[in-house]
Amino acid sequence: MKAFVAAAVLALGLPALAQEAKPLEPGREALAIPHEKYKLKNGLEVILSVDRKLPVVAVNLWYHVGAYHETQGRTGFAHLFEHMMFQGSKNVADDVHISMLEQLGATDLNGTTNFDRTNYFETVPSNHLETALWLESDRMGFLLDALTQEKLTTQQEVVKNERRQGTEAAPYGIAHEKMWHALFPLPHPYHGDVIGSMADLEAATPEDVKSFFRKWYAPSNATLAIVGDFDVAKTKALVEKYFGSLPSAPKPEKPQVAPTKLSQETVIRHEETVATLPLLTLAWHSPAYLSEGDATADVLATVLATGKASRLYKRLVMDKQIAQSVDATQQSLGSQSVFSIEVVARPGVSTDTLKKEVDAVLEEIRKNGVTAEEVNRARTRYDTTFLAGLQSIGGFGGKADVLQNYNHFIGEPSYVAQDLARYQAVTPEQVKRFANDMLRPNARVVLHAVPPQQAPAAPKENK
Amino acid sequence: MRRLLMALCTLALTACATTPEPAPQPEQATPVTAPQPEAAKPEDPEAFRAKMPQPAKPPDLVLPTFEEARLDNGLTVLVSTRRQLPLVYVGMAFAAGSAQDPAGLAGASDIAYKMLLEGAGGKDTIALDNAFADLGVSPSVSVNPDGAFVGVRVLTRNVEPALALLSDVVRKPTFAPKDFERRKKQQLADLVRRMGSPSFLAQQAYLTAVFGEKHPYAHPVGGVPSTVEKVSLQDVKRFYQQQVGPKAAALVVTGDVTKEQALAWAQKHFGDWKGAAALPPVPPAPPVPPRELVRLVAKPGLEQTFVMVGRPGIAIGHSDEYALELATTVFGGFFGSRLNMNLREAKGYTYGAGAGSDARLGVGPLTVYSAVRANVTGPAVTEFMRELTDIKARPITSQELEAAREGLIRAYPGSFETVSGLGASAAALFFKRRPMDEFARTVAGLEKATPAEVQRVAEAYLNPAVMQIILVGDPELVRTQVGPLNLGRLTPVEVAGAGAPAAAGKK
Repeated sequence: MKAFVAAAVLALGLPALAQEAKPLEPGREALAIPHEKYKLKNGLEVILSVDRKLPVVAVNLWYHVGAYHETQGRTGFAHLFEHMMFQGSKNVADDVHISMLEQLGATDLNGTTNFDRTNYFETVPSNHLETALWLESDRMGFLLDALTQEKLTTQQEVVKNERRQGTEAAPYGIAHEKMWHALFPLPHPYHGDVIGSMADLEAATPEDVKSFFRKWYAPSNATLAIVGDFDVAKTKALVEKYFGSLPSAPKPEKPQVAPTKLSQETVIRHEETVATLPLLTLAWHSPAYLSEGDATADVLATVLATGKASRLYKRLVMDKQIAQSVDATQQSLGSQSVFSIEVVARPGVSTDTLKKEVDAVLEEIRKNGVTAEEVNRARTRYDTTFLAGLQSIGGFGGKADVLQNYNHFIGEPSYVAQDLARYQAVTPEQVKRFANDMLRPNARVVLHAVPPQQAPAAPKENK
Repeated sequence: MRRLLMALCTLALTACATTPEPAPQPEQATPVTAPQPEAAKPEDPEAFRAKMPQPAKPPDLVLPTFEEARLDNGLTVLVSTRRQLPLVYVGMAFAAGSAQDPAGLAGASDIAYKMLLEGAGGKDTIALDNAFADLGVSPSVSVNPDGAFVGVRVLTRNVEPALALLSDVVRKPTFAPKDFERRKKQQLADLVRRMGSPSFLAQQAYLTAVFGEKHPYAHPVGGVPSTVEKVSLQDVKRFYQQQVGPKAAALVVTGDVTKEQALAWAQKHFGDWKGAAALPPVPPAPPVPPRELVRLVAKPGLEQTFVMVGRPGIAIGHSDEYALELATTVFGGFFGSRLNMNLREAKGYTYGAGAGSDARLGVGPLTVYSAVRANVTGPAVTEFMRELTDIKARPITSQELEAAREGLIRAYPGSFETVSGLGASAAALFFKRRPMDEFARTVAGLEKATPAEVQRVAEAYLNPAVMQIILVGDPELVRTQVGPLNLGRLTPVEVAGAGAPAAAGKK
């Protein structure tokens, strides 16, 4: 999950953002999301924002726990646990959570886990808000009353299938996992991927589920956002009714993890068995989400690989025609981010050739920087993308998600203006310095994922 | 219609989602009033939790409205106003798609439309892309069997320059030989890349199995290597001249705009566009033969088997449309559908299983699919067939039907939130030649379908005897596990490049 960024502020030591969000510049008022935030006695944070565009309401819960908070030997647990949250609780029958919401017309309905957080969300017709609150509160308060070994076993199987689909049987899936292993050696909690290893998924026990729930799923470690067409006073009363009496527990401490550093180039050569074209990936550690340099990294990624005129696309795909696609991403994470460049080769082109070309493009930027025009284009793009996200009340990137995201990382739901200001502040000089300081050749992982060489397959049609 | 557009997307799930897969509820997990727990004594202050809340009165359904107008040159203009944010989507929908690929040149339409963005109005590829980038966007073009669509979402203040660029792209493409050569090579390499995806391999074998070799819907939109290889710049130009013009296109404008404004823009940028291209013919209905084969695409060592089962379904506007939508939803359209609850939640064979009917301008496919753990391929295929047979043996209950009906209808308003979503819906109405009140008709149709009708349609269309089966997976394992099921002669099918990764030869 990428997006909403705000760095300069962190560098200043997080000034008192709390009450007054920065006013938006003229023409940008549409970016403001009016809302109210308060806390229940048991520590649950609540964010309410009215939007009467359609007769629907988004209910969105963030638990402030992700793969980052897992213990060693239990990789993938936060996500496996997320599956358990759909399996029934004391007053909600087994396995009906999703079906029940589907039957009343819910959309944008899911739960997802990443390194930094776990979220649950649904958008319901406005007359069903109470049902959504009932469902969410029951699993927050009474999940363990309905836990069984059998349910856990089924979800272990489902998640292992999910892993097969996304890793073992997916193009470059295993190769990517190797790269994350190299970037974050154990005991770093970003080791591997959120989905975890097969062995750890196998090993999970109901005891693990219980202790994970007790520690991380306390009301004090969660935030409930409600966005859409609802009556504020009535909704506050409903929130109190369903969540107010859930037992309290102290907010758990966030684990302290030392940042990982690479001191040399790590090269991985992987024999790819699913994908058909060679892939080259270069990856570096980069500044954490919202910290100094994170927005600069986004701008550089856009200049490198978004659009046909971007530096890597133009040279590798258009001019030299040695690559099929290029991609550059700042994957912003709470503890430490990853900046990566991915290039898929044309048939017959080696990844070593690609690497030489990518390095030439990077060297050019390290030496001569990027143009003001390129930086401006990247900024215009963020403006449009930010605004577009606010069209939906729920789902990924919708209003509830935006409010939750800023609240999770900064403690202030309306952070849009500050976030955009970070991008406004990025200069070509900063982009150049980022390329020099952060993207050093001796501090990266280089992944070559190459399918075995075979005789050219004569294309054939179906018989 | 929303679900028709989305039916086959569900396999591209994000890594960590507890997926919604697309239909309601098997009997063993009866839709729900919560059980009364023992502790629910009257004095228990938490006793209220034992009962599911009663919903308030349902809100009125708010459906998007589309307005339609026509310029003197025949260009259709479709407008939907949504003013909350300063955003506008502008795009051009073209009535010819991959179904209009010339014989033996599958993939020609895809290249032709992609060439529109490879230089236009005197700007080369890079200059054109930079001009769009200055407006904060990168345009892309999507081609599907019934049409194509190119457009961008911009801030309201950028609409005029965006329309000027769109007008160049649509009316003055350069079609430079060197850009064509590069685009074609990229297309060929892309076909090699896609052969790495088990679901694409399945799809390619599936289309031929369901539609027969020659049908306009029988090939993937991007073509196959042997046909793309043959496409020339002349072919592409000819396609553009014959198929693209104001009488076979619709300008789509949605978001922060009025109908008057949209018409003024249309007149200014497209009013003097000329061209004779007319709406192409509707593809013929394919025959529905009984299953004789089980088609196997070999992908040795694959840890999952991709299973695709299907047949020709219906064309949009068919009188069975709404009943079939309800039937497929119960069968495999929701997370809580019979198929998904069985294969995922009861058996743990898969991360998700689904089904959907893609009602196109012509008869589209009706598809059931899942990626299952390789070592349970046999049992999983058996369950597919059992669920299909059970539609007759264990008819759809009124509970299942009403859950699907209510779920589909009530989810409607929530699915038109974005201006690009509105734009895509308008384009689909144009491709499928539907009236502007299609969405209201859909809701009415879903409301009216009777239980008898839904059951009749379910039995007729989900009849396992006429379902073609395609499996992508380890050939040895499939042979051992599926061979003995006697579902048809197990037949290896070669799709270009399958099982032969790496260099597809010439550059």
